[in-house]
Amino acid sequence: MTFDVLDPTNEKSAGETRLAPRLSSLDGKTIGIVTNEKEGTKGYFRHLDRLLRSELGVKDVVWCPKTNYSAPAGPEVLSQMKRWDAVVTGVGD
Amino acid sequence: MTELRSLSSQTYRAEDISAVQELYHSKGWTDGLPIVPPTDASVRACLEWAAMEPDELVGIEPVRELAITGEKLAINAVMAGCLPMHFPVVVTAWQAMLREEFLLHGISSSTGGCAVMLVLNGPIRLEIGASGTFNALGNSDRATAVIGRSIRLGLINLMDVRPGSIDRSTLGHPGKFSYCVAEDEEDSPWEPLSTVRGVPNGLSAVTVFAAMAPRQIMNEWTSDPREILETFAAEMRANQLHYSIYGGNYAIVIPKQLREQFHKAGWNKQNIAEFVYERARVRRGEWAQVGKTAVVRDRAEREFKALGSPDDLLVIAAGGPAGGFGAVIAPWMGSKTRAVTLPIGACIDCEPPKPEQTSPLN
Amino acid sequence: MTTQFVTAAELMARVLGYPDYPFVIIDHPISNADDDALHARASATLDQIRRLLLTG
Repeated sequence: MTFDVLDPTNEKSAGETRLAPRLSSLDGKTIGIVTNEKEGTKGYFRHLDRLLRSELGVKDVVWCPKTNYSAPAGPEVLSQMKRWDAVVTGVGD
Repeated sequence: MTELRSLSSQTYRAEDISAVQELYHSKGWTDGLPIVPPTDASVRACLEWAAMEPDELVGIEPVRELAITGEKLAINAVMAGCLPMHFPVVVTAWQAMLREEFLLHGISSSTGGCAVMLVLNGPIRLEIGASGTFNALGNSDRATAVIGRSIRLGLINLMDVRPGSIDRSTLGHPGKFSYCVAEDEEDSPWEPLSTVRGVPNGLSAVTVFAAMAPRQIMNEWTSDPREILETFAAEMRANQLHYSIYGGNYAIVIPKQLREQFHKAGWNKQNIAEFVYERARVRRGEWAQVGKTAVVRDRAEREFKALGSPDDLLVIAAGGPAGGFGAVIAPWMGSKTRAVTLPIGACIDCEPPKPEQTSPLN
Repeated sequence: MTTQFVTAAELMARVLGYPDYPFVIIDHPISNADDDALHARASATLDQIRRLLLTG
């Protein structure tokens, strides 16, 4: 007995996304770190913060926590991003 | 009624039932169990029952901006074994899951491994034969089994929530196959859960929440409601110390034998919630007793409540008639996700929420 | 990304429309790594981070 059966998946792919323009240099720049405030991230980002300034000439590093670590960055984070030259964030545990 | 618009999903031809199974399994479209072939006729039957067009937007998953349509929910519902009469429950559950406060992407992708638990209230339970008595948290009846399963299949196929893919659950639990319970309203002295949570009495409703596995307790040696609830609260405190200390929507399931003790003492769900709110608390320093000294630090005296308020407790009347058992069902992780309760079929013409503009940088 | 989340990141990149989105990978887990280990990871990844921000 033949069955004609239907695809249960979304079948649509997302539109294309582009990479933001790259910086020409890191000297004097402001870098934002978007964190989920989990304990384990603080140590890594603390060291990275220091190294970005001491080794790569970054002028300022701004820490910006998400209000909900399991949700994407909300409007309060996105609005702060306008003041930064670049963003570092991550996922881990 | 007027003819539904055509379905738009791609069709595959399989020569027999075995070929159907291998097709779906090989493409990662199942939960590992055999599925019911979703044919054009069976999918249309679900949509017609719910008076939905195939391309009707049930909602949008906000993180990945995924459109969830009636047609795709119906396909996954048929696969799970749902009949048309089960489908309105499935649709309402998804509407609730897609609410921003439920955090659907977060809870279903997390290493924490929770499942989506559904609680059914109102007349629809009787119409579909959903039983809130024997084996309430296991395989109690066809309706809750297939409705619960349709949620998992929808997550797999519409949101790529597959183990090792979007689903990063370390362990998960068996509720990820199906986790749906009907409240035993007919044999309960209390208001239905949905009514406590704001749905007018007499309407059918679904409550969804991000739930860990049930933890069974027993206390058949007292008729004092406080002593019974001390056992529930102790299990909640254990969860706070052993798993997650943060407060959120805990559920407690109270079967008939224990319910009778509360009823004789004149305790309603509000009384229960207020007592548990006071008793289900731990201090951070207690972590040292369970091998977590490293994270106590200098905050040992800080108190953590299992519930943000008494309203956070979901009291569910369900279970068989004998046995002094109860269950505590902990939330995934604190209050990052909130339980959502929606009436079924009370707002057929409501528009789903429109997607917000995602970035002010655009 | 820590190593255990690489496949999740690759999938998210794909479904969001940027299948080759570049990112830095560090050892998993970080939640119980000591301070020296975290310093070492930050140092080890600094050059990759610089390159990603400057050239992609």
